[in-house]
Amino acid sequence: MPEAVAGNGGYMIAAYIVTAVILIGYSVLLARRARKSTSRQEKHV
Amino acid sequence: MTLAQRGRWITIGALMLLAGIYVRALRFTPVELTQGPAQKIFYLHVPAAWSAMLSMGLVGLASILFLIMKDARLDRFAAASAEVGTVFCCVMLTTGPLWARPIWGTWWTWDARLTLTLMLFFLFIGYQVLRGAVTDPRLRANYAAVVGICGLILLPFIHLSVYLFRTLHPMPIVLKPSAPSLPPEMLVTLLLSFGVFTLLYVGFVMQRYALGEGESDA
Repeated sequence: MPEAVAGNGGYMIAAYIVTAVILIGYSVLLARRARKSTSRQEKHV
Repeated sequence: MTLAQRGRWITIGALMLLAGIYVRALRFTPVELTQGPAQKIFYLHVPAAWSAMLSMGLVGLASILFLIMKDARLDRFAAASAEVGTVFCCVMLTTGPLWARPIWGTWWTWDARLTLTLMLFFLFIGYQVLRGAVTDPRLRANYAAVVGICGLILLPFIHLSVYLFRTLHPMPIVLKPSAPSLPPEMLVTLLLSFGVFTLLYVGFVMQRYALGEGESDA
C-alpha cells in the first residue's frame, strides 16, 4: 500500500502567502517612496 | 528611462515570474513523500536565504571598496542592498519556522544555523538603525561600512555552520562540492526560483539606489 503523504499543506499555503505579502508590500512601499521623493524634488525646484 | 523606472520594470517582471514559480512549485512539482506539501516551502525559503546572503555579501564588498575609494555611490549601493537584504531576511525567517513546525515539531530551535541567521537579521537591522542615528554623512558611511564588513565575515560561518556544529538544519543540497542531490523536476523549480529571487534583488536595489540618489540631491 502506498505511504500516506503528511497533511501539512496549511503551512505551505501560509508560507506562500506571507512571501507574496512581504515582496509585493515592499514593491508598493518603494513605488510610494519614489512618488513622494519626486513630488518633494518638484516642490524644491 | 531613469534607473528607478528600469528598476520598477525589472521588479514587475520578476513578480510576474514569481507568480509562474508559484504555479510551477504548487501545481507541477511533485510532493516529497516523507515531508509532504510543507517541503515546497523550500522553493521560497532557500532562494530567500540566498538573496539575503547575496545582499549582505555585496554590502560587505561595497563597504570595503568604500573605505578604500571613498566613493559615495558605493555607500549608497551598500545602504540599498542592506535594506533589500532585510526584506529577504524577513521572508527567510518567516518561511523557515513555517517549515520547521510540521517537520521538526517546533517553530524555532537555538541551533547554530538558525542562531547565526538571526544574527544576520539583527546586523541588517543594526546597519539601518546606525544609518538613521548618525547625521554626519561621512561618519555615517564609515561606521556603516564597518558593520557591513562584519556582516560579510559572518556569511561563511552561516554557510558552514551545518558542517561545523551538530545542527537540526538540513545540509546544503545545491551549494556543495558534490552534485545537487535533488530529483530533476525539483532542482529545476529551485534553480528557476533562485533566478527570480536574484532578479527581484536587482530590481529592488535599482529602485532603492535611485531613491537614495534623489534624497542626497535634495
